[in-house]
Amino acid sequence: MHIGQANELSRRAFLRRSSQVAMMGGATSYALGLAGLGEAAAFSAGTDYKALVCVFLYGGNDHNSMLIPFDAANYARYAAIRGGTGDAGGGLTPARADLAATALALPAGQVLTDNIQYALSPAMPRLKALYDARALAPVLNVGPLLAPMTRAQYDSQSVPRPPKLFSHNDQQSTWQAYSPEGATVGAGGRIGDLAMSSNPNALFTCMSATGNAVFLSGQRALSYQISPSGAIAVNGVKSGVYGSRAAGDALRALLTQTGTHMLAIDHAAIAKRSIEAEAFVTAALQPVSLATSFRPPTGTNSLANQLQVVARVIAARAAMGTRRQVFMVSMGGYDTHDAQVVNHTRLMGQLDFALDAFYRATVEMGVADKVTTFTASDFGRTLASNGDGTDHGWGANHLVMGGAVGGGRFYGIAPAVALNTPDQVGSGRLLPTISVDQHMATMGRWFGVAPSELAGIAPNIGRFASADLGFLPPVA
Amino acid sequence: MDEATTIEGPVREAREQGEPHGTPQGTPFPSHLSVPLLALGVAACGGGGSGSGGGATGGVAAPGVQVRKPQSDAEAARFLLQTGIAASTEEIADLKSEGFAPWLDRQMAAAPSSAVAWLAARGFTQIDTNRWFDRTEPGDYMVWNQLMGGAPEVRARAALALSEFFVVSLDGVDFRWKSQGMARYWDILSENAFGNYRTLLEAVTLNPAMGQWLNTLGNRRADGKGRVPDENYAREVMQLFTIGLYELNADGTVRTGAGGQGIETYGNTDVQELAKVFTGYDFDWTGTTTTPDPNNASWTIESVDFALKPMTADSTRWRYPRATGYHSAEAKAFLGTTIPAGTGPAESLKQALDTLFNHPNTGPFFARQMIQRLVTSNPAPGYVQRVAAVFANNGRGVRGDLGAVFRAIWLDDEALAAANVTSNSFGKLREPILRLAQWARSFGATSKSGNWTVADTRDPASRLSQSPLRAPSVFNFFRPGYVPAASSTSASGMVAPELQLVNESTAPAYVNFIQRVIAGQEWVTNDLAVPYAQELAMAHDAGRLLDRLDLLMTGGQLSTESRTAIRGGLDASVVSEASDSATKLRRVQTAVLLVMAAPQYLLQR
Repeated sequence: MHIGQANELSRRAFLRRSSQVAMMGGATSYALGLAGLGEAAAFSAGTDYKALVCVFLYGGNDHNSMLIPFDAANYARYAAIRGGTGDAGGGLTPARADLAATALALPAGQVLTDNIQYALSPAMPRLKALYDARALAPVLNVGPLLAPMTRAQYDSQSVPRPPKLFSHNDQQSTWQAYSPEGATVGAGGRIGDLAMSSNPNALFTCMSATGNAVFLSGQRALSYQISPSGAIAVNGVKSGVYGSRAAGDALRALLTQTGTHMLAIDHAAIAKRSIEAEAFVTAALQPVSLATSFRPPTGTNSLANQLQVVARVIAARAAMGTRRQVFMVSMGGYDTHDAQVVNHTRLMGQLDFALDAFYRATVEMGVADKVTTFTASDFGRTLASNGDGTDHGWGANHLVMGGAVGGGRFYGIAPAVALNTPDQVGSGRLLPTISVDQHMATMGRWFGVAPSELAGIAPNIGRFASADLGFLPPVA
Repeated sequence: MDEATTIEGPVREAREQGEPHGTPQGTPFPSHLSVPLLALGVAACGGGGSGSGGGATGGVAAPGVQVRKPQSDAEAARFLLQTGIAASTEEIADLKSEGFAPWLDRQMAAAPSSAVAWLAARGFTQIDTNRWFDRTEPGDYMVWNQLMGGAPEVRARAALALSEFFVVSLDGVDFRWKSQGMARYWDILSENAFGNYRTLLEAVTLNPAMGQWLNTLGNRRADGKGRVPDENYAREVMQLFTIGLYELNADGTVRTGAGGQGIETYGNTDVQELAKVFTGYDFDWTGTTTTPDPNNASWTIESVDFALKPMTADSTRWRYPRATGYHSAEAKAFLGTTIPAGTGPAESLKQALDTLFNHPNTGPFFARQMIQRLVTSNPAPGYVQRVAAVFANNGRGVRGDLGAVFRAIWLDDEALAAANVTSNSFGKLREPILRLAQWARSFGATSKSGNWTVADTRDPASRLSQSPLRAPSVFNFFRPGYVPAASSTSASGMVAPELQLVNESTAPAYVNFIQRVIAGQEWVTNDLAVPYAQELAMAHDAGRLLDRLDLLMTGGQLSTESRTAIRGGLDASVVSEASDSATKLRRVQTAVLLVMAAPQYLLQR
């Protein structure tokens, strides 16, 4: 096992690109635009538009309550483990009858482990409809791996494991950036590094609507933050401070001052970027008018608000000068150790509403097959119950959504509904059968990443049999 | 650790002078951690001449020994801003006169001001149609009162730092009287801030707000039918509150094993085993009474008592008493310790917390993060080591003396060194909570209602993206290891925790928010009356005004470039002694805003 090899390949690829960038001065600047850097050979942008949207579910989504066994035999196993009685449910188990409306039919010829059939959470009728419309697909048992691993290899430690398994912050980082907290280059940012030359305005290659996260940071690509209401101006700079133009000018000078202290330099760089880009972004978004509503029937939905601004940015793509974009949005609250039934059901309802609204917006804009949205999370959770919740796991079932997705079917190997089978490390903590690298590589290939560059966006990919899980068509 | 290179002259002298080296009751003291005792005293006193003996002697200056004192107003203001929340000319004078250690000891000795008692005194513990018992706003009011109002400032600053280490969020507590529950949590941090870490750890563990936040509340033993103990507290008490994920050297750096890899401190089996310790706890309902619901007399509202008491594993004290509880009787084997089968909850808890407390990681793990919260994001390993050594032994054989630890942090030469004022890497970004609290204290804010009704300030697009006791998760608002991508910080191989909150949305949002706050135009702070009395008196003299603000807000660290820019903004509008008060106030507010946007203010070094 040559664990270091893929990283080395990735490093060499980066050095090769870096030498090209060095000729341009290396600065990642909104003003420079950075169009036309020497990435074209490794990235197929074409003239169309494409976006990847990462929906991060912070806290570790209980995938076992998002995709629930529905066939009689597996439902019975599930209910027995999760506090249910017969078909009536109970504990963490919904009543079987309540799953009928969101049951996902398998296409002819697809048979999963133990003939399992799943239903989505009863709170997800909209995503059930998208599955039926073949715009949504579950991908089964995805998680961080350095190399394929069996339970025996896990036990004997003969294959290296991702470090700091089961730890929130570290597995968030590992999902986003292939290594624990402290990583500075994420999967989305790596894709952005390759794609940014396709964009007249490179600054907007990687955009976050959810705060700072390593997923969108590349070697050169930066994560540009946009709030749900758009870009935020410094009012004093724009309109003067308490009526004084001169004070507004002073404010601008102070915020953008180039100092010598590293923290001051970094803060000023962000403030400067914010001030310089704001008017442009605001002007680009101003004419956008989407008929699709992101307003939930009741309450508030932060994820919908974030996806709404992503939709508006996509709608403004011509004015923004973007052809390839990676976005990140998120919702929290998934660490359901307690009160899981109430809280997780509410979260599933919010996710259902927000993803569906976003998909419909992409249909409205005519880019449904140009935008692929996928869920990610710290980890899956135990199948075992702690009474009214679950604990930290590893692999998890996830969703991919979009017009280009081969929806209406499942990808991957369904885990057994059990507490001690070879596809897990105990208590139903799944040993992933699909690595995050394979997941990202599949999406990267659709996005335009060349096969030769896959190790740059998915450093462990060389150790897995396939870089194509089949749920998206790769670019020719 | 090499004693010969660690212990310097004065330490040898101190040891030879017969510092007691007792072992506190029930707290075994690992001998390998005792080596650098009193290193603090050396560090604190090494830079400015002689010293008072540092933290090791509890601050009692030896007779005839000169006390280290600030040499300038700026040096004094800098220390006030590291140890507290704001600076005033009176405090500067006192500090210069008394010297660092005596002044600090006096501040640390000030008794805590109870947030629970304050909420009751302000009427928030009344059961009436305001339904405060179900609301989180009083939780915001009580903590802002602590930070902005009259609570002893050094203790409040330490409690705030602790609240970002032992994190509980108002948003994660949904039992009745949640605000009072969080006030009790704050009081635990405040009361124990200069007490012992082991005491604090147990109080934190058994507090019902923490119990609900990390699920010890209602946690039960395995039932043999698939139910297993909740692992949340067991995991996070190790990862975040005591030992961390990797074995550490005494200076806080990661120990490496074969192949240069870090050595993980625990595995999932340790978590599952330790989880059994935290089973069987629920609210202590003794003394809790009920009152008819003010909105519906057929319902009842419980009195606040249960929310203020430590959780109990004694099931006869629960709301629905039982003869037997739910504590696991299984053996609990973790981190090389085995608690025998049949051990009860109190003894299990004692052994578990003792194990975590006495782990060699706990001192350096805690020390480094407190230094980051109070002084600098990237402390030198030697700084961490000196503070961790005081954690291991306060000089009198006591492990975990937090008063000595905080003293060691604040009086260390790395914190005090004048040279660091011009360093390009020392210091930290001033976190947004501190900016708002500093503004309030600096300019004499009072509460119009007396209730300090300052609201939640988290909204990242319009407020501060941070609000005290409202972190988004137990991982705090930002991580101690956060490295901004493609940055000057990352190029230096350093970390910048507070920068995790800064992006193209939050940077302008802060400036817009504070601009409204300063001018009394912000709803969130509209209960505050801020007179700017001293500043108004000098508003016509822009130079003097700026000197004062520079001193109080930055410790006199504004650059020439910043001062020139600010003067440009101020001098464009003519203000004379004869100007009306509105004109003067505008100038003062403009000056305050510009200082609070200056890089030397956003940075604290």
